[in-house]
Amino acid sequence: MAAPRAAVASAKQVTRQNFAEAVRELGAHLEACDYVAVAAQKTGAPTGWRRALPVDTAETAYLKAKLAAESFQPLQIAVCPFRLRSSSPSTLVAYPYNFHLFPRDELQLGMPSYSFSCQSSYLSTMANDGFDFNMCIYDGISYLSRVQESLARQKIFTPRPQQLLPSPSTSVSDSVFVNRIKSKILHWRKGYADPSKKDDGTLVSSLSRLILGGETYGSRPSMSIDVCSDRQVQLVLEAVNHISDDLVSLVVPHKAGAARSVRVIFTNSKEDKNLLLMDIQKLEDEQNFKFRGFREVIDLLSSSQKPIISYNCLNDMTMLHTKFIAPLPPNLHEFMCSLKMVFSNVVDINHLLRQIGPLRKAKNIQAALSYLQRQYFVPIEIEIPQQDGTSSVTKNEQNVLRITKLFAKLSNLLKISPECQLQSREQCTAVEEYCNIFYPSCVVEGSYDANFAIESDTTETVSTDNIIFLWGFREKSVKELKSYLIGLHQAFSEDFEVKLLDKTCSALIFRDSNTATQLLKEINSEGPSLNRFFSEGLKAAGFEVYRKVCRLGLWDSDLAEVLEDVSSELGVPTLPECSTSQIYWNSALMLDLKEYLEC
Amino acid sequence: MQVQGLLRAPPPRILLYRAISSPPPGGNGGGGGGVAVKQVTRGNMAEALEKLRGRVREAAFVGVDLEMSGVTSAPWRDTFELDRADVRYLKLRDSAERFAALQLGVCPFRWDPAKSAFVAHPIPFSSCRHNFYIFPRKELPSDCSSHEFLCQTTSIDFLAKYQFDFNTCFREGVSYLSRAQEEEALQKFNMLYHGQTATSSTNSEEDRDIPLKSASDILFTERMKMNFKEWRDVIVSKPMVDNHLLGNIKFCAGQFQTVFFKMRPAIMLNGFSSHQLKLIQQVLRKNFRDLVFVCTFGEDDTSEKKVVYSGTDEDRILLMKDVQEDLLKNREERVKSAIGIRHVIDLLSSERKLIVGHSCFLDTRHLMSVNQAVQKLMKHKSKSLSSAFSLLCPASYSSAEKPSSHSPVTIEVEGDETTSSCFISGAKHEAGYDAYMTGCIFAQLCAYLGIKFEQFSPLDNLATNTELQKHINFLSPSWNSGTVIDLSTGMERPEPGYMRRYPAAVYDNIIVIWGFPSKVRPKEIKDCICKVFGSGSVTTVFSIDSTAALVQFKKQESVNDFLDLKAVLERADSAISILHPLSTILEGGQTRAVKYDTYRDICSSSESKSLFADQAEAVCATLKNQLKENVDDNLISGVLDGVALASVTEGDGIISGSNNQDVADVTCHDILDALHDGKALLGRRM
Repeated sequence: MAAPRAAVASAKQVTRQNFAEAVRELGAHLEACDYVAVAAQKTGAPTGWRRALPVDTAETAYLKAKLAAESFQPLQIAVCPFRLRSSSPSTLVAYPYNFHLFPRDELQLGMPSYSFSCQSSYLSTMANDGFDFNMCIYDGISYLSRVQESLARQKIFTPRPQQLLPSPSTSVSDSVFVNRIKSKILHWRKGYADPSKKDDGTLVSSLSRLILGGETYGSRPSMSIDVCSDRQVQLVLEAVNHISDDLVSLVVPHKAGAARSVRVIFTNSKEDKNLLLMDIQKLEDEQNFKFRGFREVIDLLSSSQKPIISYNCLNDMTMLHTKFIAPLPPNLHEFMCSLKMVFSNVVDINHLLRQIGPLRKAKNIQAALSYLQRQYFVPIEIEIPQQDGTSSVTKNEQNVLRITKLFAKLSNLLKISPECQLQSREQCTAVEEYCNIFYPSCVVEGSYDANFAIESDTTETVSTDNIIFLWGFREKSVKELKSYLIGLHQAFSEDFEVKLLDKTCSALIFRDSNTATQLLKEINSEGPSLNRFFSEGLKAAGFEVYRKVCRLGLWDSDLAEVLEDVSSELGVPTLPECSTSQIYWNSALMLDLKEYLEC
Repeated sequence: MQVQGLLRAPPPRILLYRAISSPPPGGNGGGGGGVAVKQVTRGNMAEALEKLRGRVREAAFVGVDLEMSGVTSAPWRDTFELDRADVRYLKLRDSAERFAALQLGVCPFRWDPAKSAFVAHPIPFSSCRHNFYIFPRKELPSDCSSHEFLCQTTSIDFLAKYQFDFNTCFREGVSYLSRAQEEEALQKFNMLYHGQTATSSTNSEEDRDIPLKSASDILFTERMKMNFKEWRDVIVSKPMVDNHLLGNIKFCAGQFQTVFFKMRPAIMLNGFSSHQLKLIQQVLRKNFRDLVFVCTFGEDDTSEKKVVYSGTDEDRILLMKDVQEDLLKNREERVKSAIGIRHVIDLLSSERKLIVGHSCFLDTRHLMSVNQAVQKLMKHKSKSLSSAFSLLCPASYSSAEKPSSHSPVTIEVEGDETTSSCFISGAKHEAGYDAYMTGCIFAQLCAYLGIKFEQFSPLDNLATNTELQKHINFLSPSWNSGTVIDLSTGMERPEPGYMRRYPAAVYDNIIVIWGFPSKVRPKEIKDCICKVFGSGSVTTVFSIDSTAALVQFKKQESVNDFLDLKAVLERADSAISILHPLSTILEGGQTRAVKYDTYRDICSSSESKSLFADQAEAVCATLKNQLKENVDDNLISGVLDGVALASVTEGDGIISGSNNQDVADVTCHDILDALHDGKALLGRRM
């Protein structure tokens, strides 16, 4: 079967040594494939209440994902274009690549990142799994985000050739200018093109260089012509074109990006000219590598418009956005719009899992795969044409292949088809229907326990009005806390659920929103019925306070502490305002991006 | 240069030279080309520690160096010449708290009178903050993995250039616990232990039952019951059978493998989920009095679950006691081994030798967080050398280049042939090597100071040497501060001979502004303020980063005048405010100006934004939200009434300042107190 084969399959390892070649190959494979699976290995994940919690709304979940994306660093990104053919058995052809990244400051501009966070437990698990940190740090590919690139381009200028545009009409002053430039260049060129002067002494040649105002470009003579507008650049290029084929011109930009001068380089022969052009091209490639690096892959993915398949979409997409596109916007809506411009179709495996009842509870890809293996018969032939030959398989490539496999099986079960094959089979659904719906998962990575959680099947929508955050109970378990609360106020005799959010704070979810608001009101007015509640040192706040904590980004301390700070600052009346949202209690929450785009 | 590199941290007694780039010391005389460095990781830590103990005991002084994962968490956290002592300290504290130590180099130098030379033993300890989980993981699953540290890209890249082995570091690095953490761990573990004995006596009868909700649970329970019964019957029917026989018994699912645990037959429970294990426990509790569920810890921290057969009640009690004791021992061992690198620090501090390090207060601070009591021994013989040496240091370089001026001190390197790796001197930038270099330079400096090693007996402590006394215990907070901190008094004093680039700062006259248009340069800020307050009213404008600047006025009044004027201009939305010279910096309406104390608060915040403006906004938005708004309003009305409101703003500064004093957990003075009280601390621990 597929499983053992996939386990030994290894991806192409890409470092800065073989990056250019790998990008070329990847581009070709992308063209030929239907989907791309993406997985990232990061230096950590948020802990404690900074993880996505069941009480989070879409907005707060986004803020948490944003925090994680901004603080941790991806060290490997695996990209796997794959093709699915629904013959029987269906075939899956995958081309996995594993890119090693390190945010080296190639341009000495303090970019892409000044520093990043690491979680020691994460690093040691990675080390135990055989992750090669040296390879990553010594040879990892650097990158700049799109925004950073444009910032860098403003600071570092490289002369580059420019196309001669067909000029509209030439005014008198233009032709005067062209003629003047022409004669200047001709005069200068004569000094080199005339064979009779070849054997002048070095003194003479350097003197003539002085007089003619020439410089050298590498070993070749060149001269600079100052310009003050783009129009003039065109005119100079025109003039150069008219004179001779053996001249190459480069536009030297100025600070603001406008051209400052045009550099004309003299070449001996046609071969020499080609050589020069190749040199210039090579230089530009090197520069581009420094300016873009790994981002070239992201740009490829973006322009290919293939559906992106990922597991922890919200986390991965915020990470890709902040590292390779632009800093993350302050709210989810803007993020969605911005992401949509880059990747139009993103499929969260988590969402697909939820389409098949029992898989809803699968904690991770591994669990889902083994469940499918046991319960369904989905024969899939896997073909991985390019093998690297290395025996060690890193967790990350394993992950991306698992995602690929899982998607193949799920799409088989759900009858999802890529667009191009849609016409032929009627009962198929287009993959677009599953796109852009994210589930921020609350699962801690690294626990590969292939079991399902024991949680109730019911997913219910709870309004944020029903939630009360409670702290000050010292270290108590959920059970202890619940029995302890019942004695404190009659509101607690009603039906409510308790969930520990971190060791200092828990959320109480009331079935009845009136109870919650009423209780909150009493707590805020410090009513006498709550004397025991307060004397036990208990504190409580509504969802509004939590929302504010997330919005302000007070991630540094325990939840109880920040809630305390913020609620004391908000003043007494912290009644929920008009903005009531929904959370999906008892399940990972779901963000339908379409909703966010429509509003 | 020090700036780009790594922080080196010496424990208590420190010799500082400022900004040593790493040229080999002139008097490397007998040192030869290679320096042997013993690489210490988790595997050989214990052995290395013993060896080091002996070496340190013999040593005249010890060179120390630390490699860290970064220097500053943001560009604006760099220490500037203009910083006040407390701000400088806050910045260093921030770095020490955020970054992890990756490598500690220790190099004892022994004076060999027979050869008239020093013998060096460099040892780098790879240390890293992983492997930390021993107790928290068991008890508080929610916070076990919250140990985060920051990496500065340039520092990591710098280490990579010198072939720092990150794989070894992360895989094999020795972890550490600070004294406080050790205490906490022991406490937790004691609690756990007591809690366990308490429950174990009662749990056999009435532990909370798991309701068997699903059919699969019931089936599983039944099957387990049968399996256990079958196995038990076999054991009982063949009492004290030998291994082979038991090993041959095959059970239906092949799930059980019989082993022996403390001379009793047992089953390893492998491959069960935690839920299943709970069910198994329940089955055992309810149905089998003579089968005991035992959880032990294997060598690599993995827990092993077994079901042990124990025929009689007495035997069972004996067994439980045995298991408990093992668990206890195991946990103590683990706490002990988790202390890791701190053993080295403890060793250095208990031997009270002269410690020689270079640069960085910061690292002392870091070690402090590793070990608060490390610095305690100030009053005793251990001393550090002053950074007055930093003055002498360049001089000694030049003199070392001219060997005629005085004869170099000979240093011999004694390595451990079997485990040492040799490298060409200067080729690696490694803590052990740097510690060695530091020691070498120190030896030269001593010669330069006229200390006669020849009259030295190996037992003499260099720290008591009168020539050195005046250079000991001075720390230079950073290479550009122009001051040294005297550890025995806690005071800063100007560093002799330091050339200041900026006029001395008067902190009452300083304001911090940020949020001005990004194209504005410090020069323009100065010009436009001078236009309003008169030329010469601004002594310095120092840019913190691209988004913020410190402005020092000549007169203190100007500070409030400026703040008032700014407030008025921002309120008045008229042509005047646009045409006003200050509009250059006020343009955009995002410009903020605060006094120096607020700057201190911003630096002390645990927020970490890479741009100062973002940081300042975040800090102000959160904590001073209310306060600031109130003050602003007062200010405005005051200005409109023509009343000077300096007192209000003053009040702001004071309030926030004192608040902050409380928030900051350790201040510079606390540390110094800790240093002096170290003895008491130590006493308490022992």
